[in-house]
Amino acid sequence: MQTVAPQKEIIDAIKASGGNAFKYCYQCGMCDTVCPWNRVRNFSMRKIVREATFGLTEIESEEIWRCTTCGKCPQVCPRDVRQIESGVALRRIATEYGVFAEGAKPIPGVAASLRAEGNPFGEVRAKRADWAQGLGVNRFTEGMEILYSPGCYLSYDPRAKRIARATVEILQKAGVDFGILGTDESCCGESIRKTGDESLFRTLARQNIGHLIGNGVKKILVSSPHCYHSFKNEYPEFMVHFEVVHITQFVHQLIADGRLTLTKDYAKTVTYHDPCYLGRHNGVFEPPREALRSVPGLQLTEMPESRGNSLCCGGGGGRIWMETPKGERFSDLRLEQAAGTGAQVLATSCPYCITNFEDSRLNRPDGGASIEVKDITEIIREAI
Amino acid sequence: MEFGLLQQQWSTQNAVRPADDRMGDVMVVGGGISGIQAALDLSSAGYKVYLVEKSPTIGGKMSQLDKTFPTNDCSMCIESPKFIETDRQPNIHLMTYTDVDSVDGEPGDFSVTLLKKPRYVNEDKCTGCTVCVEYCPAKIPDPFNQNLSLNKAVHIYFSQAVPLVTYIDDSCLFLKDKTCSICQTVCENDAIDFGQKAEKVKVKVGAIILAPGYETFDPLPRNDYGYGQVRNVVTSMDFERLLCATGPHEGQILRPSDRKHPRKIAWIHCVGSRQVTPGGNSYCSAVCCSYTQKQVILAKDHLPDLHAKIFHNDIRSYGKDFERFYQRAQKLPDVHFIRSYVSIGREDPQTGDVSIRYATPDGVVEEFFELVVLAVGLAPPKDAERFSSIFGIELNQHGFCKVDPFNPSQTSRSGIFISGAFQGPLDIPESVVSASAAGAQAAGLLKSRRGQLSEERVYPQEKDSSEEEPRVGVFVCRCGANIGRVVDVPGIVEYSKGLENVVHVEESLFACATNTAKAISDTIRDKRLNRVVVAACTPRTHEPLFRDTLREAGVNQYFFDMANIREHCTWVHSKEQEEATKKAKDIVRMSVARAGKLEPLDEFSLPVDKTALVVGGGVAGMTSAHTLAEQGYETYLIEKAPDLGGLASRLHYTLEGLDVQAFVKDLKKKVYQHPRIHAITDAIITDVDGYVGNFTTTVKSKGRVRTIKHGAAILAIGAAEYKPNEYLYGRDDRVMTLLEMEGKIAGQDEKLMAAQSLVMIQCVGCRNEDRNYCSRVCCSGTMKNALKLKSIKPEVDIYVLFRDIRTYGFREDYYREASNQDVKFIHYEPQDKPLVEAVEEGGRSFIRVTAADPILGKKLELDADAIVLAAAVIPAPGSSELARMFKVPLNPDGFLQEAHVKLRPVDFAAEGVYLCGAAQYPKHLTETISQAYGAAGRALTLLSRDTVVASGSVCDVADVDCVSCGACISVCSYGAIEFVDTPRGKKAKVNPVLCKGDGLCNAKCPTGAITLSHYTDDEVFRQIDAALAG
Repeated sequence: MQTVAPQKEIIDAIKASGGNAFKYCYQCGMCDTVCPWNRVRNFSMRKIVREATFGLTEIESEEIWRCTTCGKCPQVCPRDVRQIESGVALRRIATEYGVFAEGAKPIPGVAASLRAEGNPFGEVRAKRADWAQGLGVNRFTEGMEILYSPGCYLSYDPRAKRIARATVEILQKAGVDFGILGTDESCCGESIRKTGDESLFRTLARQNIGHLIGNGVKKILVSSPHCYHSFKNEYPEFMVHFEVVHITQFVHQLIADGRLTLTKDYAKTVTYHDPCYLGRHNGVFEPPREALRSVPGLQLTEMPESRGNSLCCGGGGGRIWMETPKGERFSDLRLEQAAGTGAQVLATSCPYCITNFEDSRLNRPDGGASIEVKDITEIIREAI
Repeated sequence: MEFGLLQQQWSTQNAVRPADDRMGDVMVVGGGISGIQAALDLSSAGYKVYLVEKSPTIGGKMSQLDKTFPTNDCSMCIESPKFIETDRQPNIHLMTYTDVDSVDGEPGDFSVTLLKKPRYVNEDKCTGCTVCVEYCPAKIPDPFNQNLSLNKAVHIYFSQAVPLVTYIDDSCLFLKDKTCSICQTVCENDAIDFGQKAEKVKVKVGAIILAPGYETFDPLPRNDYGYGQVRNVVTSMDFERLLCATGPHEGQILRPSDRKHPRKIAWIHCVGSRQVTPGGNSYCSAVCCSYTQKQVILAKDHLPDLHAKIFHNDIRSYGKDFERFYQRAQKLPDVHFIRSYVSIGREDPQTGDVSIRYATPDGVVEEFFELVVLAVGLAPPKDAERFSSIFGIELNQHGFCKVDPFNPSQTSRSGIFISGAFQGPLDIPESVVSASAAGAQAAGLLKSRRGQLSEERVYPQEKDSSEEEPRVGVFVCRCGANIGRVVDVPGIVEYSKGLENVVHVEESLFACATNTAKAISDTIRDKRLNRVVVAACTPRTHEPLFRDTLREAGVNQYFFDMANIREHCTWVHSKEQEEATKKAKDIVRMSVARAGKLEPLDEFSLPVDKTALVVGGGVAGMTSAHTLAEQGYETYLIEKAPDLGGLASRLHYTLEGLDVQAFVKDLKKKVYQHPRIHAITDAIITDVDGYVGNFTTTVKSKGRVRTIKHGAAILAIGAAEYKPNEYLYGRDDRVMTLLEMEGKIAGQDEKLMAAQSLVMIQCVGCRNEDRNYCSRVCCSGTMKNALKLKSIKPEVDIYVLFRDIRTYGFREDYYREASNQDVKFIHYEPQDKPLVEAVEEGGRSFIRVTAADPILGKKLELDADAIVLAAAVIPAPGSSELARMFKVPLNPDGFLQEAHVKLRPVDFAAEGVYLCGAAQYPKHLTETISQAYGAAGRALTLLSRDTVVASGSVCDVADVDCVSCGACISVCSYGAIEFVDTPRGKKAKVNPVLCKGDGLCNAKCPTGAITLSHYTDDEVFRQIDAALAG
């Protein structure tokens, strides 16, 4: 067995970076037992915490980049070790020193793109609102009912753009007075913050806040739970307080208020996946289900590990930008669970989940023939 | 037997108690084991007690347990004799199914308004015959069985209930919509009364003791570990009922989903405890580690090929005999203790099996189990908030009663004391101790009223049956399923009818239940029985109860014999029913034969010298002495050191930050200045003679010899600190013990203050072959001193190397606080101890400690300026000589051995001597104080009486046959025999009061000159003949 001594300077550096809560750990192992990684390979959050406690963190290792910040371990941790904040502290140090393990190599490129063009894809800012062309979508002006902020994926990714279009159809059908900020919108910054790039997050946040205030925005409608989480829980650090609504909550409200009536049949068996950042992190479980139950002909089933116990798709914590080898993808397991309920459609409401599920669906033995992956808006739109 | 006759005779018995005037000395609220103990102590010390219980019967949580750790005694068996004692004690007025409504007044003069809930059954008329239960059509989930089985809307709470009377639950069809009144129709005594209303009753008392107990943590709200959703996940209390022969499946462990015997069971520790997650409790519940080990041992007994895994994060086996109990569980085949908390994976819909995910250094393992048991923690009782406002007492931050750490019986309101788990998670011995402590203090408050309201117990005149032929009654008990399920009870009854001298035989479900015990008395009278054989459990727990039953019937109590067909038969031959039945018949035959030869014996009444002697002038001794002195008893306090104070003189602060030195100084002052305390320091005891109520102790001090006559003695000789020879202690002055560290911190020792890094090593000198026990106080002591040092010098690095962190109860909060202050904890296994070496490196001199960390998979090298060893607490030097002088035993670890680990924790088996403090076992200051009050309380039950009674079963020497060989004297461990001069020369003489009747002298005497009453040769040969006759 190798012999090592605790590294005080590193312990202090980790603390200064936000990793103070590591000290509470009493090595019970609960985190490891709930972590989705241990369904596909060996990964020990407990060991990461232990190493950080003694300043023995291996900053070049893959391990500190594995966490998807799904929130399962903080949910059960008896000592409130705040694994997410503590884990991010380690990544902050890695980012500061520019040390990125193999799996995390895409991150610097993503950061550069965010800095330059406000999106992670390397696309130009000018094209951010292209998805809305020809849909009669207006630029947001003060006094409108709500600002619609589709986020980066829905703005640029081909699969996700379909969600943005479905969303707009729903809003227009319900007569919602909404607008978008278009190219003035930048990435919310939630995921890049979780990779440890605190200064980039602040830059993006300030940019966004400037435009939001400048345009008199009070209420923001988002499609991505990550934007939801960031605008609602993290932007207040900058002393702003916008009202933030997720599309599933908004649709549920529209139906309840009678502004949206669903009349067409959608006779399929659907199962709903709770995205980590909508469900476990922010407690939104019922509105999406209520919305689906309002669709005529739709049969809703529940997967095991639903609601607060939902199985992460693997996209959070910046891992949407990292490569996860086949056989190690949580989303593969989720598709299996979805199929296991007899569902024809796996529905969810997060662009990361959609992206990962579509990938896993194609990699299924039958090539994905027996199950579809849909965003809730895509289903609702069919029923209008 | 006609009911009319029965009723008449019961009325005769009940006539002993006149109508109550609602005026008493003490009210005990809560009839669990601690409430019962407080009531019994006070009532036998001359006080009138109202015992108020909200359930239909006394008993509390202990009555729901199957067995109790660490002895695995049957819980009901050790508790139910106390029920009967309570029932038969005229000074206890029992009010069950009664709640507290409001309280007014002040210490010495409280007025309590009680709310008697309607049972809809008239307590005075109900005979407990249960015909109504038979006919009732409404079924409800049985709360006593954790809702795992059904009972009727009208039923007796459990078979040994006191009072043994039914009650009607609100789901009764008549109460709901007036349909059905079958019970009223079938009741032969007209005891059902649907017109009953809740009644307010006002009672005046001088003091109040609150003993409402605890609730178990409920995992349902958060569905912890799938509880409430996954069928085969149960709580430990559910499992306790499954284990119990009186439970939902009569002792068969059948799992909920398919009623099959589970072959793989998982136990999950710390459910609801040791967590800061919302809805949980941050403290440690103190009893779960031990009760889980108990359940594992019992489950293995029920299911020999059980595979058991126990998932934990520290095993808190800190109490007396707990460590050995833990080892006993560990050694069982296919039982595995795994250091990991767990999460539930999934439920297999086909099999009902549940998977558990647990962490190992090699990765996470998912394993299926057939049953999962949640070791749920303890939570404040349901009434905590309500009692806080009604009684005007404060609760602590965990919702338990706030107590004064220097007097844990005292609430924030004068005159209101507490006992038991209302103050925080406590096991049964601690609850019983605290009950005696509360009793002592309530008695102190009311000392001027002692004896004014109390009554003596009156027995009927004893019949003279010397001219009669033996008329033997045999009562065969089924003991629920314990006996009934194994042997053919009706067959034994039939068989007994044919035995010589037997004139009456009957069977019962529980002979110890109050109605059955009463019925036995009545039958004895009716059938004019003059010998009684009860074929049931063990005389160890139940002989006093049945002897008392004979007295109630006017028959000499020595005409009773107990045929043990449970421990000696059904419990050990449970799989061989035919053979067991034959053996049971043999045992009964032997008992009946012996009964025919029994003689009536008298018991001796001895005067009690109302002076007390306390040995040991530490906090325990001083507290006991002061308590007794305050209540008017002259007390001698013997201390071997030049000054009082004991171990506490080396303590400066407690974990909670209290000033120990100030407390000790104050206590010493009170003791030295008290007119009734005679403190003798620099003293040694040279001789102890005598017996309960009449001791003579010789004390030598400063050249002067004194003989002190006293009626009771309390041994409070404390303990000592082990001087390690491990880890360079004694060879390097940078290595110190925990107590030495505390002294240095208090003295602001320069070197310690200059230290930049400290390593503290736990479990030094104990939990090993030399001392196979846990010293209990060191983990908390380490937290205390680490936190203290950190508060003085926040930059110091402190590492604690531990095997299990045993900060039980509320002390767990300080463990987290230590983590908060950056104290680092490293787990080590006993077979891989840390390596400690003195090192010179880079011009610096320090001590290097190397310890393996299992999670890092690496060895950690810690360079320290000081090493602190949590050295074991060991028995006080001189304890074996003192124990020999007082004729009391030591346990295998050398600490004083109490009479019964669970229910008599401050008594010795030898009467008149009590114990408290670290002499009994290492303990914290607060626990010591509680036990000291408790010992004083128990001593008061003796000292407050004018006489005490000694056994009739003693030895006697026939002078004529004695050849003065002295063999008997050499063998008597109680020193009860000595030579006396007689006209025939020196002859051995037995002092009947000291004699314990063990018969060693009887066996040793070469001429057969010694007879042992109640075990004469005649009686024994009769029994042997009967054995061989079958």
